Amino acid sequence: MRTHLFGGAIVAVTLIAGLHMAQAQNIITLGAIVPSSGPFAEWGRSNTATLEMLEKQINDAGGINGAKLKIVILDDGAKPAQAANDLRKLAGDDHALAVAGPLTSSACEVTFPVANQMQIVSTSQASSKPGVAKANRPWAFRDTVDEGILARASVPYFKKTFGAKSVAIIYDAKDAVSTAIATKIMPKVFADNGIEVLNASAPVSFNTGDLDVSAQVTKLKSLNPDGVVIGADYSQAITVLREMKRQGLDKPVIGGTPLISSAILAAAPEIPIIAPATFYATMKTPKAEKFVATLQPLLRKTAGLPPDIEPSMYDANIYEIVSMYIDAIKKSGITGKASDLEADRTKIRDYMTNLKGFEGFSGSIGFNADGDASKAFFIVQGQKGAWATKVTGCSTGGSC
Amino acid sequence: MSTYYAGLLADIGILVLGALSVYIILVTNQLSLGNAGFMAIGSYVASFLTAEQHWAVTPALIVAALTACVIGVIVGFPALRLKGIYLAIATLGFGEMVRSFFLVFTPMGGSGGYRGMPHVSLGYIWIWAAGILLLVTLLERSRLWLEMRAVHDDERAAGLVGINTTLTKVGAFGFGAAVAAIAGGLFAHHYIYIEPGNFDFQRSIDFVLAVILGGSTVGAGALVGAALLVLLPEWLRFLADWRLAAFGVMLILVLLTRPQGILDRPLLALLRLRRNRAA
Repeated sequence: MRTHLFGGAIVAVTLIAGLHMAQAQNIITLGAIVPSSGPFAEWGRSNTATLEMLEKQINDAGGINGAKLKIVILDDGAKPAQAANDLRKLAGDDHALAVAGPLTSSACEVTFPVANQMQIVSTSQASSKPGVAKANRPWAFRDTVDEGILARASVPYFKKTFGAKSVAIIYDAKDAVSTAIATKIMPKVFADNGIEVLNASAPVSFNTGDLDVSAQVTKLKSLNPDGVVIGADYSQAITVLREMKRQGLDKPVIGGTPLISSAILAAAPEIPIIAPATFYATMKTPKAEKFVATLQPLLRKTAGLPPDIEPSMYDANIYEIVSMYIDAIKKSGITGKASDLEADRTKIRDYMTNLKGFEGFSGSIGFNADGDASKAFFIVQGQKGAWATKVTGCSTGGSC
Repeated sequence: MSTYYAGLLADIGILVLGALSVYIILVTNQLSLGNAGFMAIGSYVASFLTAEQHWAVTPALIVAALTACVIGVIVGFPALRLKGIYLAIATLGFGEMVRSFFLVFTPMGGSGGYRGMPHVSLGYIWIWAAGILLLVTLLERSRLWLEMRAVHDDERAAGLVGINTTLTKVGAFGFGAAVAAIAGGLFAHHYIYIEPGNFDFQRSIDFVLAVILGGSTVGAGALVGAALLVLLPEWLRFLADWRLAAFGVMLILVLLTRPQGILDRPLLALLRLRRNRAA
C-alpha cells in the first residue's frame, strides 16, 4: 500500500512538474514601450490598460495556438534614451518576438535604429513625424498615416465648409510633430488650395507647458483670419482654445491628429475643430463600439484616469499593432521557442512588410514601402461636445 | 553582458561626465544648473563636424570641448559677480537660452532634431569617461586642486595668500563646460539623433543630483551617483507605477543618512586602509 502511495505521489509530482514545464515553455512574449510617466502619461497609462485588456482577452480565449500570451510593458517616460534601453531589454533580456511602441516620434528616432540593429520589429502607435520609419527600414513600422496625406484631405473640407480664404498659425515650438504640421505641412497645402496664411513668415509659437498664451492669441486676433491652425497636441491646444474663447476669437480651428481627444471638445464647445483621425471614441462601428465599451471602465479601474477620458486613437492603434503580431504568430508558423527566436522575428517582419487587408478599426490595414500604415482615415468635425465624420479617405489615395 | 546592460552602462558613462562637469565647477563653490546647455553645444558642434564635415569622432569631440570651454569662460566672467542661488538661477537661464536657440536654429534641424552622425561604441564612451575621471582624480592630488578648494572654503582668504581667484573660478567654468561638451558629443554619437529636448533643465538636474548623491567632495562620487541614478529606476521596475515614487524615497533616505553623499574622503581613506591591510 505504502509503495503504491509512494509511486502515485511520484507520478503526480512528475505530471504536475511536466504540466508546469509545458506551460512555462508555451508562452509567447511580446513587448510594449509606453510613456506611463512623464508628459504623455495619460496616453501611456491608457495604452497599458488596453494591452492588459487584450492580453486577458487572448488568454481567456485559449491563447495563441495554445500558448499563453505575455505582454511585457515598459515605461519610457517619453524619454528617447529610456525608450532605446527599453527596447534593448525587451529584445535582449525578455526575448520578446516584437515590440509595440514607442509612442513619440522623438523616442522612435532613437529606438528604431536599435530595432534595426537587434533585428526586432518595432511599430509605433502614434509617431507621425514625416520620414521616421522610412529612415529605419526594414524593422521599423508605424500604425499611423503621414500628416501630409491627412492635411491634403482636411484642408479642402475646411475651405469648403467655412469658406476660409485666410488662416493664422499658432504652434507648440517645442514639439517636433506640431512644428512640422504647422510650419511645413499645412502652409504648403493651404497654398495649393488658395488659402492665404497671414503669418506665414512669422507664425506665432508657444512652448509645451505654457499656461498663458494670451499674448499669442491677441496677435492671432489682430490678424483677423477666417480660421486658426493649431499645431499642438490636444492637451496644449486646450490652453489655446480656452484663450481664444476668452478673447472672443470664435474662428474655426484646423490641426493634425494630435488634436483628437474627447477632452478638447469640452474646452470651447462653440468653436468648430477640424482634424484627421483613424479612430475616435464615438465612432459608430460595431468593432469600435465594443472596444470602447470594454476599455472605458478599465481606464478608470486599472489606469486610474478621470471619468471624462475616453479611449484614444493611440489605444486603438496599439490594440491593432499587437493584434497584427498575434495574427502573424498564428499564420506564419511561429513557435515562440528560444531556439527559433531569430527566425520568428524575421517571420513577423515579413508578415508586416507584406500585410494587406488586416481588419482594423477604420477598415483594412497594410504598410507602404516607407513602413507607414496604409489605412482609412476620417476628417472629423468636433463641435458641441462630439466628433462627427465628414470625409472618409484612404492613405494610399484609392480605397482601403 | 546583455545589450540592455550595455545600453545602461553607456548612459552611466555619459552621466559620469555630466556629473564631473558639475563637480569641477562646484569645487570652486559655484553651482551650475546650466550644464545641459554646454552639453547641447558639444553635442551639436561634434555632430556638425562628423555628419557635415566628415571628421572623425575624436577630433570632433576635442573641437566641441574647446568651443564649449571658450563659451564656459565667457559665461564664467559675469558669473563671478553672482553667488549661491543667484548664480544657480543665472546658469539655469543660460541652459534654457541654449536649448531655445537650438529649438529655432533650423540649419541643425530645430525642433525636428538632427541625425546622420556615426555611432560610437560602449568602449569608446568609457575610454573618455574613465580617462576624464582619472584626470580629475589626479588633479585632486595637485596644487591646482588645493587652490580650487581654498577658493571654495574662503575666497577672500585664498586671494590674500596670492591665489588668483578670478582665474581659478573662470578656469573651473571653462573646464567643466568642456567636460559637459564631451558628454554631449558622446550622447549624440551613441544615440545618433539629437533634439533640443534632450538638453532640458531635467538633464542639468540629473548632473547635480549624481554629484550630490554620489559625493560632492570627491570626483569618484560622480561615478557612484551616476550608476545609482541610472540603475536604481531600472531595478525598481517590479514596482510598476510606484517605481519613481520609490526611487524618490530612496534618494531622500540616502541623503538623510549621508548628507555629504555616499562617497567622501573619510570613507575613501577607510577603503584604502582595508585594502592595504588585506594586501
